[in-house]
Amino acid sequence: MNKYLVFLEQRDGIVKKASIDAWNRVQELARLQPYAVVSGIIAGMADIRQLDGSITGDGVIFFAKNESLNRYNQEYYTRLVSDIFQHEACDALYFADTAMTRDLAPRLSVRLQASLLAGIPVVDGEAAGSCRRPVYSGSLLATFVPRRENRIYILSSRITARPASSDGHIDFMDLAPQWLTAGDMFPVVRRLVMQKGSPDVAEADIIIAGGRGMGSAEGFVLLEQLASLLGGAVGSSRTVVDEGWRPHAEQVGQTGKTVTSSLYVACGISGAIQHLAGIGSAGIIVAINSDPHAPIFDVADYGIVGDVHVVLPKLFDSLKEFLKKK
Amino acid sequence: MNIAVCVCQVPDTASVIGYNDGAIDYSRVHEVMNPYDEYALEEAVRLKEQFDDSLVTVFFVAPESSKEVLRKALAKGADKAVLVSCSAVVSDPYQIAHLLSQALTDWYQAVLPDIVFCGKQSTDIQSAQVPAMLAEMLGIASVNSISVLNVEESFLSVERQIEGGTEYIDVQCPVVLSADKGLNTPRNTSVRAVMDARKKTIDIVPASYHHEPFVLMTDVVPLERKKQCCMVSSENELIQILSRDHNVF
Repeated sequence: MNKYLVFLEQRDGIVKKASIDAWNRVQELARLQPYAVVSGIIAGMADIRQLDGSITGDGVIFFAKNESLNRYNQEYYTRLVSDIFQHEACDALYFADTAMTRDLAPRLSVRLQASLLAGIPVVDGEAAGSCRRPVYSGSLLATFVPRRENRIYILSSRITARPASSDGHIDFMDLAPQWLTAGDMFPVVRRLVMQKGSPDVAEADIIIAGGRGMGSAEGFVLLEQLASLLGGAVGSSRTVVDEGWRPHAEQVGQTGKTVTSSLYVACGISGAIQHLAGIGSAGIIVAINSDPHAPIFDVADYGIVGDVHVVLPKLFDSLKEFLKKK
Repeated sequence: MNIAVCVCQVPDTASVIGYNDGAIDYSRVHEVMNPYDEYALEEAVRLKEQFDDSLVTVFFVAPESSKEVLRKALAKGADKAVLVSCSAVVSDPYQIAHLLSQALTDWYQAVLPDIVFCGKQSTDIQSAQVPAMLAEMLGIASVNSISVLNVEESFLSVERQIEGGTEYIDVQCPVVLSADKGLNTPRNTSVRAVMDARKKTIDIVPASYHHEPFVLMTDVVPLERKKQCCMVSSENELIQILSRDHNVF
């Protein structure tokens, strides 16, 4: 029998969409096995009513409702997850790809002596149990093979599919770890400041991204207007960040973020391989560039050859008109 | 302040990673210090300049023939360079972390350095696992991909970007900190510093113990991204297609 454990990450009491998607994907994996059981773990207070309708399948979710777990603490979280993993005799642990995971999963790999893999799991054939992901700026695809019995998987983000309706049943089991101590345990997250307004580029469903072709920091006003009209986020190429036109948090690509938006509009971006590394999981890619030979057109679904300063205002006006009629 | 910096080398961003008969072709690759490690090293050297009696020691796990990265680190202001010498290139993050933790414990004996800096990930394999694994093996705290570091009276305050926000974290020494882009702007080296670095000695310690790899990287194949791009002539046509065929608006 296979026993899978899924870490459901909460920030400010909200379970992340990426974690819910990871849970649903693990449910799919479990269905491929003759006997597989899926459990989950939530650390800290969270509003679990939001999970109704978005979470599928069967299983038990361990719910450690303790205030000292509300904000991420690496030692508490490592201990909590490794305790449950061992107590439930699990063989695989699953995470969504987030900043918290990047901190927590390597620690658990050492503590549980487990192989840590990231990417898209291979579900059948000889390589089953391995993970595939791009390496070397996204020019090559590698398979990573686990050598330990215990495995930890970081599922790379994807465009979130709507969960199939399911008549499964999920039980929540309260957990009260006795070893939790009151008071500070370093490192302490003193403050967590979430940005208001537009979504993060790593999580946005629509991204309007700009490159050197935007000409200046002021050129990005056009992109901000378009992004805000569509409820999306602004993304940037590396050049733009290095020039100081935009913050690093918006950078898409090898040394920036990987996006999973269903629409990615690349404006004045030539399409260096380092940039393409960040948009491999995007859905529809639209390129707007004055150079018809720009490499971005090789990876785009739709292209407009033209000056962004001419095309974008027209696109904004037409789109506004279109949305009004709709 | 006693500071360790762990570095590695990667193909520079202009290198073409070829692919021949089922294997990566490294012949046209030029290896440089991992860009994230440059931020880590720069931060260490800045702390050294800020605090008297500081010592910056750089550690690098590699075969004995690779010393250029350590020469560069010395030129940038590191005091000492240690090559953790192994017989072949090690690429499993668990093994690398293990070799580093052994080397650090041997080198520093009873008292670990105040800060162990790493880059948040290498730009080639991009696992981003070594810093936190190393901290766990050393039994100390870590904060990953920091973009701001301030030294307070009895602790360090750091910031890091997470999805949709910023975490402000306090942490005590000893600690492993991994550097993200934005932490600083690495300095250029003068010809003089490069010449001086050539004269410094590089300590070589044998990789003490080879743990079996936890993960093997196999079946590396070229990644094909090409799509058939449909050129549209007007903004209205684009909106129609996206709405009608893809339901995005």
